[in-house]
Amino acid sequence: MSELIKVTINEQDFEVEKGARLIDVCREKGFNIPSFCYYSDLALQASCRMCLVRIEKMPKLQTSCTITCTDGMIVTTQSEEIEKAQRAMSEFLLANHPLDCPVCDRGGECELQEMIFDWGDVEERFTEKKNVEPEKFLSPIVANDPQRCIVCKRCTRVCDEWMGEDAIEAGNRGVNTVIGTYGGWLNCSQCGNCIEVCPTGTLLDGVYRHETRPWELDQTITTDVYGSDGMQLSIGSRGGLVHRIVARDRYVNGLNGEFLDVKARFAHEFVNHPDRIKTPLIRYKKGGKLIPATWDEAIHFVGQKLTESGKNVGVVASPRLTNEAIFTLKRFAKEVVGTDNYAVSDRYDLSVFFDNLSAPLATHKEIRKAKTLVLIGGEPEEEQTFTAKQMRQAVRNDGAKLIIVNHTPIRLSAQASQFIHINPNSYDAFVLALTDSANDDANAKKLGIETKDLADFRQTLSETEGDTVVMFGGDLSPQAQSVLANSADAFDGTNAKVLFHPLPLYNNSVGANDLMEGKKSLSEVLKNSKALLIGGSLQEADTNLLANKDFIVVQELFETETTKYADVVLPAASFAEVDGTFTNNTGFVQRVRQAIEPVNQSKADWMITTLIAREMGADFGYNFSATMVFKAIADSVSAYEGLRYPALKDESKPVQVKHAISAKKDLSKEFDVLKSNVEKLSDEANKLTATPRVGHKLHRLTTLTSKTAQFHLLAHGNPKPENLLVSPLVQFNLDGTPRTETADAAAVGVTDRINLKVEY
Amino acid sequence: MASALATDFTNKIVYTDEVAEFSPEVVEEMKSHLVKYPPERKRSALIPLLFVVQRERGWIDNAGVNFLAKFLELEVTDVWETATFYSMFNLRKIGRHHIQICKTLSCKIMGEPEITEHICNKLNIHPGETTADGKFTVTLVECLGSCGTAPMMQIGFDYHEDLTTEKVDQILDSLK
Repeated sequence: MSELIKVTINEQDFEVEKGARLIDVCREKGFNIPSFCYYSDLALQASCRMCLVRIEKMPKLQTSCTITCTDGMIVTTQSEEIEKAQRAMSEFLLANHPLDCPVCDRGGECELQEMIFDWGDVEERFTEKKNVEPEKFLSPIVANDPQRCIVCKRCTRVCDEWMGEDAIEAGNRGVNTVIGTYGGWLNCSQCGNCIEVCPTGTLLDGVYRHETRPWELDQTITTDVYGSDGMQLSIGSRGGLVHRIVARDRYVNGLNGEFLDVKARFAHEFVNHPDRIKTPLIRYKKGGKLIPATWDEAIHFVGQKLTESGKNVGVVASPRLTNEAIFTLKRFAKEVVGTDNYAVSDRYDLSVFFDNLSAPLATHKEIRKAKTLVLIGGEPEEEQTFTAKQMRQAVRNDGAKLIIVNHTPIRLSAQASQFIHINPNSYDAFVLALTDSANDDANAKKLGIETKDLADFRQTLSETEGDTVVMFGGDLSPQAQSVLANSADAFDGTNAKVLFHPLPLYNNSVGANDLMEGKKSLSEVLKNSKALLIGGSLQEADTNLLANKDFIVVQELFETETTKYADVVLPAASFAEVDGTFTNNTGFVQRVRQAIEPVNQSKADWMITTLIAREMGADFGYNFSATMVFKAIADSVSAYEGLRYPALKDESKPVQVKHAISAKKDLSKEFDVLKSNVEKLSDEANKLTATPRVGHKLHRLTTLTSKTAQFHLLAHGNPKPENLLVSPLVQFNLDGTPRTETADAAAVGVTDRINLKVEY
Repeated sequence: MASALATDFTNKIVYTDEVAEFSPEVVEEMKSHLVKYPPERKRSALIPLLFVVQRERGWIDNAGVNFLAKFLELEVTDVWETATFYSMFNLRKIGRHHIQICKTLSCKIMGEPEITEHICNKLNIHPGETTADGKFTVTLVECLGSCGTAPMMQIGFDYHEDLTTEKVDQILDSLK
């Protein structure tokens, strides 16, 4: 790429890229350099001063995190002088840090603890009083112990640069510096990334608080079950209980590094929730109760009933299921029932997009490095949080141009170089305007924008040198999506490569679309079939179509709207209890790994379907192993050809499936629909000007998130409790009475200078 | 401890979304600070504007912080971060007369401890507190640059130098 220069580190010569950061180079070459405040891809801080090195011809020790390598640089990373400085620094770090590791949730995986083992002195020479601040909660899920802070300011930088929220900052000065917020209460999307990057126990997971010690947990690396970004995370479980979720690994990272959002990190209590369906349930008579049954009984009953319905059985798969489960459901429809009545219960149908795809899918890395980002509709900061983070960083750190076309001023539009604020429901007109520059005036009128906006938009695109990533959300009509997906050339720039990035809503929307080839629309399947096999609940709005069916089988975790119509409910295993794969919105197939044994009597979805198939006389040849199911997928679906579980082993090198790229198609039919839609639009429309509230989609209570108590507080506007010292959820004293300490809440939140007592 | 703050007068800050309102002249003055900085670096004007807010409202209150955040397109935490860094911004409601006693070396040698003790006993408060009637706030501050006339204190914007206990009595009695 760029030119190579020579650097000497500890008397060894290395060739490194020009402009590389010294600390990264040293670590890459195997020289251990301690640091707290350095975090790659965040703004430089150089405040912990642990990463000191000696560079020849420089008068003092230098912080290697702020030095870029230059030709002929001679560096020493280990010497008596450096060690003395580092030991002195770590002594200062401990000047105010309490040694309460035995009660600290971070104990055992604390970066400060590790560093002090190597660089700390046993004797403490400080005799002054330590700063004492009580533990408190910054929000229902972020606990804060201010005295443990070593002021590396990673949390403030992450909050600003990754999330663009600036919710947490460092207040006061000098030795009194604390991390906090104005008013002491955290109002943000509650992503918890500040907790993840904190090298000490200052910011802690309020859901996992005082549950267990980290070294007692089994860490299982798996994929997020909420968002379509396919974030890699690590489930900490012990004795069949899921205790916490942290990002993929603290040091070896998947595609998302240490980034997770509020749902991925905190909303995991549904796994071991007492409301989980415990045994198979059978409703023997319509309108009767669901009665617990054994698996043999239930499978036998289902097999009998579905055989009776013959070819009138429809199959519906949820986009939350694993690829294995969805594929098995499709095979069930094709091979056992012999019908084409199968569908995916997604809110946003991706098939038109993939049918007309004219450019490859962008990976998250490509979004980060892109030069122009076009976002048409959608709200990634609420739904595809990692995509939003990559976009924000591309704009902020690399000066990418972000063009947002939306009917509301979403939060990301503050970062946009051009925000095209269109009328509600006029996305069709924008897509038309994109492909047809002759009628700009008329289209701009329908969109409620200036003609110049469209010209500016085209100019930005044509001047782009580098990648252009085009993203669009589910608010576009199917026709608009097919036209957009087919017109990659409309976004071509000077030296540009055009990439597409769909914004589906569910963790496996893309996988469901890939595997359910030839699927029908959900309403069609629900109308045309007398009996139904449903894997995962439907959207609540669709459930009214389930009335008056002969027989409905549902594989589910919880009792939902859908199970009210079910004749048999089979307890399915959650994502923490199964092996499998999810396909994310960049086309990466990523592993889902079993962290705990299936709770109660639940079974993996694909296994339930296989059991029903076996009862009906069909053998899928899976031998009850997820590996065999995936092999069957790889053998029959062209995009997944040749893949096996071992090939997906390494999360840092995810495998992208090969989505077919179609040539330019004749889409005159779609264009006609678009044109007639646009003609129907009135010129006068009221634009929506209010920026949606932070978390209006993230904090929504769903079947799964409602099982985590803290989400109820978030969904109700994150109310600040009277007393910040006590958890926002109820805490009890040992004698059973609720804790009601009356701390001075305001004084806890803001300790200002006037408050400081002077000792004589 | 926080409970040492004896009076309700200083303790309770209620955090709301209320935004302060200023007279057109004050807003004009604030805008005159803005033009000194490039438009994309508006936040540089934060410190001068904090002084304006403090002058107008007596202290940096919740509504004032909300106003500045809106005015400079910042988050409230950004304003909070800056305001807490500097000791000359009052984040608590202070009394009508703000007594700042210099506690640095020259004053200390020349008898600052006795002066402080005298004032605190007279007003019946600790340093950092406000009298119950909201008349006086006493704080200890670093050097005010008047070492030649130590010990000294600043009340409001006025220096009072070469202090003795009698002189202090006289000054405090003359204040309303």
